[in-house]
Amino acid sequence: METKETEVTDQETAEEEEIDLAPVHEILDSFPSKSRRYMIPMLQKIQGVYRYLPDKAIRLLMEALEVTRAEVYGVISFYPQLLTTEPGKYIIKLCYGTACFVKGAPAIEGKIHERYHIRAGETDDTKLFTLQTASCLGNCGAAPMALIGDDTHGTIDPEATLELLGAYKLEDESEEPAEETTSE
Amino acid sequence: MSTVVRKTVNFKINGKDASAPEGTVIIEAAKQHGVEVTNLCYNRKLKPFAACRTCMVDVRSADGKKELVYSCTHPVAEGIEVFTDTEETDRYNGACLEMLLVEHPLDCPICDKSGVCPLQDNTEALQMSNGRFEIQRRNEPSDKSNPLIEFYLNRCILCGLCVRACDEIQGVQALDFHQRGMKSMIGTANQEPLDCEFCGNCITVCPTGALMDMSSQERGLAALFKTNNSICGYCSWGCTVQMESKKNKVTRFVGDETPGEGINEGNLCSKGRFGHGIIHNENRIKSPLINFGGTFKEVSWDEAIKTIIDRVQATINRNGPETVVGIGGEKLTNEENFLFQKLFRELYGSNQVTNLANMRAPYVNQFMVRCFENGINSKPVTELENSDVVLVFNSDLPSEYPVGGNSVRKGTIFSGTDVIIANPRKVVFKSESNIDIRLNYSLGSDMTVANRIARILIDEGIVNTANVKLAVPNYDELIQSLAPYTAEAAQQATGLSDEVLTRAAKRFGRTADRYILIGNDIFDSGQGEDVLNALLNLSILVHHGAEGSVSIFPPREHCNSQGVNDMGCTPDFLPGYQPVPDHFGTNNPAGDLLENCTNGTIKFLHIAGEDPVHSYYKGEKIKNALNTVPFLVVQDVYMTDTAKMADVILPATTYAEKEGSFTNMTRHVQKVTPATLPQGQSRTDHDIFTQLANVFGKPFPNSAVSDVQDEISKTVPIYNGTLPGSKSVQWAPDGFKQNPGFRVTEARQETSQKEGFAFKLVSNNHMFHIGSYTQYAKALTDIGPDCVAELNPEDARALGIGDGDRIMIESDMHRVEVPVILSTVTAKGTVYVPKNWVAVQLNLLRNGEEGPVSIKISKLG
Repeated sequence: METKETEVTDQETAEEEEIDLAPVHEILDSFPSKSRRYMIPMLQKIQGVYRYLPDKAIRLLMEALEVTRAEVYGVISFYPQLLTTEPGKYIIKLCYGTACFVKGAPAIEGKIHERYHIRAGETDDTKLFTLQTASCLGNCGAAPMALIGDDTHGTIDPEATLELLGAYKLEDESEEPAEETTSE
Repeated sequence: MSTVVRKTVNFKINGKDASAPEGTVIIEAAKQHGVEVTNLCYNRKLKPFAACRTCMVDVRSADGKKELVYSCTHPVAEGIEVFTDTEETDRYNGACLEMLLVEHPLDCPICDKSGVCPLQDNTEALQMSNGRFEIQRRNEPSDKSNPLIEFYLNRCILCGLCVRACDEIQGVQALDFHQRGMKSMIGTANQEPLDCEFCGNCITVCPTGALMDMSSQERGLAALFKTNNSICGYCSWGCTVQMESKKNKVTRFVGDETPGEGINEGNLCSKGRFGHGIIHNENRIKSPLINFGGTFKEVSWDEAIKTIIDRVQATINRNGPETVVGIGGEKLTNEENFLFQKLFRELYGSNQVTNLANMRAPYVNQFMVRCFENGINSKPVTELENSDVVLVFNSDLPSEYPVGGNSVRKGTIFSGTDVIIANPRKVVFKSESNIDIRLNYSLGSDMTVANRIARILIDEGIVNTANVKLAVPNYDELIQSLAPYTAEAAQQATGLSDEVLTRAAKRFGRTADRYILIGNDIFDSGQGEDVLNALLNLSILVHHGAEGSVSIFPPREHCNSQGVNDMGCTPDFLPGYQPVPDHFGTNNPAGDLLENCTNGTIKFLHIAGEDPVHSYYKGEKIKNALNTVPFLVVQDVYMTDTAKMADVILPATTYAEKEGSFTNMTRHVQKVTPATLPQGQSRTDHDIFTQLANVFGKPFPNSAVSDVQDEISKTVPIYNGTLPGSKSVQWAPDGFKQNPGFRVTEARQETSQKEGFAFKLVSNNHMFHIGSYTQYAKALTDIGPDCVAELNPEDARALGIGDGDRIMIESDMHRVEVPVILSTVTAKGTVYVPKNWVAVQLNLLRNGEEGPVSIKISKLG
């Protein structure tokens, strides 16, 4: 698993070379002062642009706020929302709350791993999905549930997990599936 | 003490009356009254944090209300009663400890901290060895990804002391908390290899063995090592180090945080902590050597000593005693330097002893004496942390006096100390000061900065000029001399706006306990004497014209650069700055030692523990001088370039093998004790001088270290009561006449620009190195392996030089090749190169130039 992660990071580094950092400067300048009290909103906005936090953007933030690398990554690693590697096209947030757990979240996770070879926190090789688990997404009535990208899926049949995911594709953005609230 | 006075409050601890300054936290107040409260995350040097929850005490307020509070965050208050170790608090404190023990490996027998571990002590105190819970130990591998500090996080209890020490004491923040919940851990970003100042203060504060010193071969149980406290042999700050040894081998150095121990509260820097590799080292000179026609032959001590004395006697008889000259050692103890000058003055009959610092800047001692003559005696440096404002003048504190930086940072947190940093480089110094003024002036305009501030103090009425005029006779002379320092002139010379200089002046001038820390870099500015005079003028102004106090110390480089002068290793003074008796005459060849070696006046030169070939600023001249002098004796630990030119070489010992005292730059006389015996055939400098005296036929009557200390106490009034130095007393300048006066010099600036040499060289000691010994300490070369120059990114871009490229640096005398990194710390038009690498001879580049050296740079293929 470690080797795989290293590969991904190498790719990121290669891609980073071409990142346009102008939005980072804009974000940093848009706050009332370059104070570390704005570090979290700054990180959120930067992630809003790139979908993750490129190392080069972090370095600009470190310089602007006069904070160290350990401090910034201390904050980043505290919040699962903040990502340091580029996630897949769709982030699957699989609810692991009590109700979802009982109703089959582990089975869904198993199916995903079987097909896409990813565990929580990982991205598949094609960069289609990133799997995350959530403590509780607050929709226990529709357990087991998950968010895929911006879509909410409730009462998922663990056996039908792969069909559900199969509707999400890397290309053909026009054919993105319409929002579903339930799938039986 | 700070000028801000804190009220004293009265309360009771376990039924006994007690008192402490307002704001003191209970745990500290208890400790001061001999009551220890269990705790794991409290350290008096750091802000209260309350992570471990094991320091609960029972507090009854004046009206009888009961409260259970954490003593590390709760301050004492008037009339309260504190009860520690009650049945109830023990139960709470014990429960928290019990949780920690679920995870902690309890691998005490192989842990470096065993025996000095608060977790062990508290487990014992609270009788927690049999916990209620199932043990769930972590089993993470240890992280040895950096050369010096091992992270073994299984033992970590997440007290956060290392994170806070790295931030609050060192201002580096290389460590932080990462992840959360069960996964919480301390470390670097993404567990990258640690890349920091390697002060190792995280190891000192770590209450368990989670962070360990890997620099030594011998590891394990602190309790099994023999320990002795001594003084660090590197810079002039004078830190106390606890030397740990096993089977007569020095294994590691640790900080001793016992309150009142030394001046550094257990803080150390990379050199002080990890620089012990010079003690047991294969490269040391192994035996006395005599140069037979270019090759060194090992000889017996008797033969070497006899050869030297025969030559001394012959020279005295033939050419007179003043042709016999000695250079005392800035790394020798006071006692050794005292014997050295005594050997020359009383036995050889020659007043010709000096030292390298005095050769470079003879005006420094004068400056110090003038401070005393003006009534500025300066407070002990232990009070630095209580000061209100610190002016750091041309010193890169984290490299030059790192532990001084620690004290300043502590002041900014606990005493509200403000910081003014004046430096031509944009030096990094992070602290929590409310006011942090940076005077990032143009290279070579040091004097203008100081004089402009003085003028603002007067013009703006910040100091009471009437009082100054009354106290200092030549006040008008100062006013006249400051006339050229108008706002415009200063701005043009320094590149600083008058607004920022005014802010600095106002902060410095207003009621305060002030400290001025001066860097050795001023000697390279070409106006060292004038800068010192200007800073003293500034001090005199606030001394007489403003409330509070001012403390100012001469810049000193090595561990005993102060002591070598105090002990009279200068032709200008006897020990204690007493006048030289007339019978020595006025012939003074040591006054211009290089010239008088080269022209043949000096016939015999004895260098004790110095390497001027590498360190003296007149690179070429010193080589010529040593080549010419007919007989050269060098005693040193390593085969330096200077030793290689000697006729007789004597192997001496390092600071960990000798006994005596060092005097730091702020005049604290401190005890040096040996951790081990002299290695191999080496002898202490003390023994060497004693034997020279014996063979000369006039043995010193009493030559034990304690005898010499008695003699110093009797004959050197300023040292009376300071020795043997176990109390770290600052010597008092008694007996200096009061003679207030400003010393003024004409306004000038070093602007010499040589055709074709567009850059200026800036150089000082590297953060991980000082002098040339540290190059033999493996731990320090592991973290600071190469001499790397620093260049401003804008200059680099213009020249097409990239990060990591190799460049050639040329002056009109010499050239060196070094790799370069780009950094905005270094100002445009300058190149910074650390001076500690033998292969990069910066003193040849400088070759006697007093001011900033003109250089040119070019990229190498």
